[in-house]
Amino acid sequence: MHPVNERYQDVGPEEFYGQCAALARKSILRTMFAADERELDGHFKVYAVFSVPGEDLFDILVMRLRDEGRGLSYRSITPAVPAAHWYEREMRDMFGITPEGHPDDRPLVLHGMYEKGLYPLRRDVTAESVRQAVDVGREDYYRYMEVKGEGVYEIPVGPVHAGIIEPGHFRFSAVGETIYYLDPRLFFKHKGVEKLFERMGFEAGVALSERVSGVSSFSHSTAYCLAVERMSGIEVPSRAKAARTLLVELERLYNHIGDIGNMCAGTGFAVGYARGAVLKETLMALNDRLTGSRYLRGVNAIGGVSRDVFKDADDIISTLDAVKTGFKGFMGFLLDSISHVERLEGTGILGRDIAFGLGATGPAARASGIGDDVRRAHPHLTYGSLVFESHTRGRGDVFSRMMVRADEVECSMSIIESLLDQSHEGGLSVPAVKVPPGRQALGYTEGPRGSIFYWVKSDGGGMPLRVKARSASFCNWPLMSFAVHGNIVPDFPLVNKSFNLSYSGCDL
Amino acid sequence: MFGTMLSNMFKGNQALSREALEALAGKPVTVADAAERLHAIFRRSVRIRQVDAGSCNACEWECTALTNPVYDIQRFGVDFVASPRHADILLVTGPVTMAMAEALKKTYLATPEPRLVIACGDCAKDGGIYRGGYGVMDGVSSVVPVNGYIPGCPPRPAAILMGILNILAQATVK
Repeated sequence: MHPVNERYQDVGPEEFYGQCAALARKSILRTMFAADERELDGHFKVYAVFSVPGEDLFDILVMRLRDEGRGLSYRSITPAVPAAHWYEREMRDMFGITPEGHPDDRPLVLHGMYEKGLYPLRRDVTAESVRQAVDVGREDYYRYMEVKGEGVYEIPVGPVHAGIIEPGHFRFSAVGETIYYLDPRLFFKHKGVEKLFERMGFEAGVALSERVSGVSSFSHSTAYCLAVERMSGIEVPSRAKAARTLLVELERLYNHIGDIGNMCAGTGFAVGYARGAVLKETLMALNDRLTGSRYLRGVNAIGGVSRDVFKDADDIISTLDAVKTGFKGFMGFLLDSISHVERLEGTGILGRDIAFGLGATGPAARASGIGDDVRRAHPHLTYGSLVFESHTRGRGDVFSRMMVRADEVECSMSIIESLLDQSHEGGLSVPAVKVPPGRQALGYTEGPRGSIFYWVKSDGGGMPLRVKARSASFCNWPLMSFAVHGNIVPDFPLVNKSFNLSYSGCDL
Repeated sequence: MFGTMLSNMFKGNQALSREALEALAGKPVTVADAAERLHAIFRRSVRIRQVDAGSCNACEWECTALTNPVYDIQRFGVDFVASPRHADILLVTGPVTMAMAEALKKTYLATPEPRLVIACGDCAKDGGIYRGGYGVMDGVSSVVPVNGYIPGCPPRPAAILMGILNILAQATVK
C-alpha cells in the first residue's frame, strides 16, 4: 500500500543497470538509497526513484539483495547514470553494499575515525557499537584527486574555514591563480541523523527533520511530514496545507534575499552586504512574530500545523510590502554597481549538460537552463491550484544564479499574496493515527536550494524501519568542481556563495 | 533595555538576576561601559573565532547576524577573526561530530592564552537533539574545556550577544 503517484517495480539485480539506464535517458533521478528489510522479508533493498517527465508520477525501481556468502554487491549504475555517483558511495559506507565498477572507490560519508566494516544503517548494528568503535585519533587518510604537471600546486582549505561558516575540506589544484581542479570533501558534519530517526519514532522525528539543515527547517519538516502522512493515509486539512505553503515560501524568501546580500561579501561590497542583511533580518523578525521561531521551527507536526499564520495576515502583508520596496531598491543598487556586477558575470559557469547529468536541483540547476521545480513537476500542498512559472536563465554563471533568486523572490511574494487573498477551510491539523506496519511513502517539496526528498517505511511495530532524508545540497555539492574550473582562487568564495549549499544538509 | 544590562553587568562584575533585568527594561542603550570593561580585561578589543563543530547551521547564521547593522556587535569592541591565532574567545557551535573532534582540539590548542571557550546552542551544550547518536560526542565539553554556555536552538542573536558579555563578566570575577 502506497500513495497513488508512486509506481514501485521489483527489478532483479541483472536487469537493474539496464532499467535505470533506460529511465535516466528522460527521467530525473530524484534519490537512491538502500534499506535493511531483513526483518520483513530477509532482504536488503536498493531503491532508485525517478520522476516521470510530464506526469506527477514516480518510477521507483526496487532491487532485492541477499548476502549469499560473498557480500552484498550489484553492478554500479553510475557509468550510465552519473547522478547516482554519491548515492552509491553512501550505500557502500552505510550498508556495506558494493557498487561493482563504480569509478570512485573512496569512502564518502564515514571518515577514518569510524571502524571499517561496521555499517551504521544496518538494523543489527547499534548506534552504541558504532560510537564505541570510533577512534578520533585514528589516521584519516583521503586520497585527493591529484593533478600532475609543471607549476601545479595544491591548496588545502578547511575543515575549519576563515569565516562564520560550516566545515568542509577543499583541495584545489591550481596553476598560478587559476583553479584547474577542486576536489571537495564533505561529511565532517555527519551526525548519523537517519539512525536517530529510527530510534525517535515518527512523531518525535519532526523536530529532528527541522535540524537536518537549519535554514531549510520548514521545507525539510514539510517533506518529512508529507512522507509520514502519505504513508499513514492521513488527509491534512486544506487550511493546514495553505499555511504550510505560505511558510515554505517565507523560508524561500529569507534564504534568497539573504543569499543575494551574502554574495556581496564575496565581492567585498560591504554596503551591499549590509543592505541585504537588513532585509533578511526584517524577514527573520517576521518569522519570529508569526511562529515564535526565526527559523519557522515548532510549527509542523504530523497531521498539520500548530499555529494559524493566517491570523497575522496584516503583519505579513505590511512587512512584505516594505521588503518588496526595499528589495526593488536593493536590486537596482546592486545592478548599478558595475564593480560588483563585473565580478558576477561570466564567473563560475556551470554548463547545462554537466548540471543535468549530475542531477543538479534548485536555483543552481535553473540558472543553467534546467527548468525543473518540484512544485510544478509534483504538485503538493496547494501548489496545484497556484499559477506560477519556473524561472530559468541560460548562462549558468554567478550572475544567473543571483537573478534566478531575484525572480523567485517576486514569485514567492505573489504566491503569498494569493494565499492571503483566498479563504481556507478546515482546521489546522488532524489527530495522529497509529502507524500501520510495513507501509512506505515519499515526501517532498522544493526548498530554497532545490528539491528535498524523504522516504519513510514503518516496521512491524509502527516505528520507523527506515527514514531516508535527501537534501538539495547532497545533489549540488559535486557540481562545485565543475563550476570553479578555470576560475581564479579569489573567486571561489563568490562561486561558493552563489550556490550557498548546506554542509549539514548534505552530511546528515 | 539592553545596554543598561551591559553597563550594570560590569559594575559589580556580576551577572544580572532576572529581577534586576526586568527592573532595567525600557531604559536607553549605552555601550561605553561595556567597551571600557572589555578593554580593562583584555587591554584591547575582544576577538572571537567561531568554530562550527557539526551543527545544523542555524546557530552560525545567528552568529553572522551579530555583524549586521541591526545587532552590530562591533560597537562593543567585539569582532570575529579568521584565525584562532588572533582570537581571545572560541565560540563553538554543534554537538562535535566524530569527524570534527580533532579539528576542534587543534583550533583550541592554536588559540593563545588568555582564551575562553563558549558553547553556543543546545547541541553544543550536551549534544541536544543528536545526543546519543553514533556520529556525535554529546557536546563541546567532551573535547575542550568550556567556560560558559548559551542555551537555545538556536539562541537568538541578542541572546548570543548577552551570553558572550555575561560569560566574559563571570570569567573575570576575582
